[in-house]
Amino acid sequence: MSAYSNRISGFAITGKFAISLIAVVVTQGILAFKFKFFGYIDLPLICSVYYGFTIGNPIASILMGSTLGLMQDSLSGAVLGANGLSKTLIGFFAASAGSKFAVDQPITRIFALFLFSLGDGILVTILGLMVGPAASGATYSGAVTRSLLTATFNTLLGLVLFGYRDRLSHATT
Amino acid sequence: MSRIVVESKKPVWIVLTIALVIHTGLISLQGRRRLDTSFIRMWILDTLGPMEKLVDRSSFSVRYVWDRYFALIGLHDENQRLKHEVDELRMQMANDREMVLEAQRIRALAGLQDSGIGKTIVARVIGRDAGRNQTVTIDKGRAHGVRKDSAIITADGVVGRVILSSNFFSIVQLIDDSQSAVGVMLESNRRLGIVKGTGSRDLDLDYIDDDNDIKQGDRFLTSGQDRVYPKGIPVGVITSVSDVRRGYIKTVEVRPSADLGRLEEVLCIIEGPQTADVFDPTQGPANP
Repeated sequence: MSAYSNRISGFAITGKFAISLIAVVVTQGILAFKFKFFGYIDLPLICSVYYGFTIGNPIASILMGSTLGLMQDSLSGAVLGANGLSKTLIGFFAASAGSKFAVDQPITRIFALFLFSLGDGILVTILGLMVGPAASGATYSGAVTRSLLTATFNTLLGLVLFGYRDRLSHATT
Repeated sequence: MSRIVVESKKPVWIVLTIALVIHTGLISLQGRRRLDTSFIRMWILDTLGPMEKLVDRSSFSVRYVWDRYFALIGLHDENQRLKHEVDELRMQMANDREMVLEAQRIRALAGLQDSGIGKTIVARVIGRDAGRNQTVTIDKGRAHGVRKDSAIITADGVVGRVILSSNFFSIVQLIDDSQSAVGVMLESNRRLGIVKGTGSRDLDLDYIDDDNDIKQGDRFLTSGQDRVYPKGIPVGVITSVSDVRRGYIKTVEVRPSADLGRLEEVLCIIEGPQTADVFDPTQGPANP
């Protein structure tokens, strides 16, 4: 890969990272506060999965997921590091899946999004409960239901956004 | 890209491990309360706060513009429609009010019709002479039985007489016309007299048998002796009595009982009473 290509790739990753950052701010700071429904949507997770699939750079995916998760924790009042840890793993696994599976197929995306969302929900809940319910605000009752709901909504929204992003990419190339 | 993944596999694990250790450490520190990690939150919050504010302001601005402008696009049309509707309803209300008033007037005239003054017909005033002569035009004529010298009255009193009658319209000389004269009698003492129009609002007493008992507030009724107006219909009320004599009687001004300035429906007496020639408005309808 040439220096020019590396520079282009760097710009692309930085741009995607900025978009993800805005997504975190929007979802946690504005939408979830003003619209109750957005409490069931995890845009940072969708961003981590999508860019893990498409960037093709596991290190960038890990760093992106890690940073997004940390910011999410900071703004959401969750245990600091819980979402960071979860999104770090998601970034890594998404990047690995992107290099091994046909992630442009809807069925793969549905499967991946649902599993990643469910795993994220369970991991964050467990970590929150380990540190203490007062710190995480999580309770045993309803945690599974909430994780399933969040996974479902994330899968649906992720499919829509992925499809839209794909069409946008095809239109510009 | 897959080539990069293969080439950089070792650093990937290193980065992953470092990231996981950092996050685990943060979680662990919070659990054991060994280190206050709030400074990390504060730093991130301070960094993202302005962006959050920017997004919030942007969404507020978009919502503001939407609410104030785009959401009002249909409001103009709706406003116009509602204004039009209000105008229509106002016109309808005014029309209804007019109909109610008209019904009241016609009911009063109908009461008068049944009071024994003879055969009558209701006519509508459709025009007024704006010149010197005090005349009005009504929408009834010969075809309806209206003839020259037919008496025109309202429920309040005498209006005038027909001076010209066509097939379908007639011209009525009002009693306040300067060429008009009505045979009257004083309601209180039944003394006979004549009142004449002056061309202005009030009438003048032109003749009376004895003017000694005349006082302000007395009423004049038609005497029936002029053979135009049936006997007993209110003509007017004395508004002033002056000792200054005009000829050999006192100067007496009479205000017409009927509101001659606001005539809309009138009653034409097309045939005089056959039996009783005395009409007393205080007695009410003959056939209630």
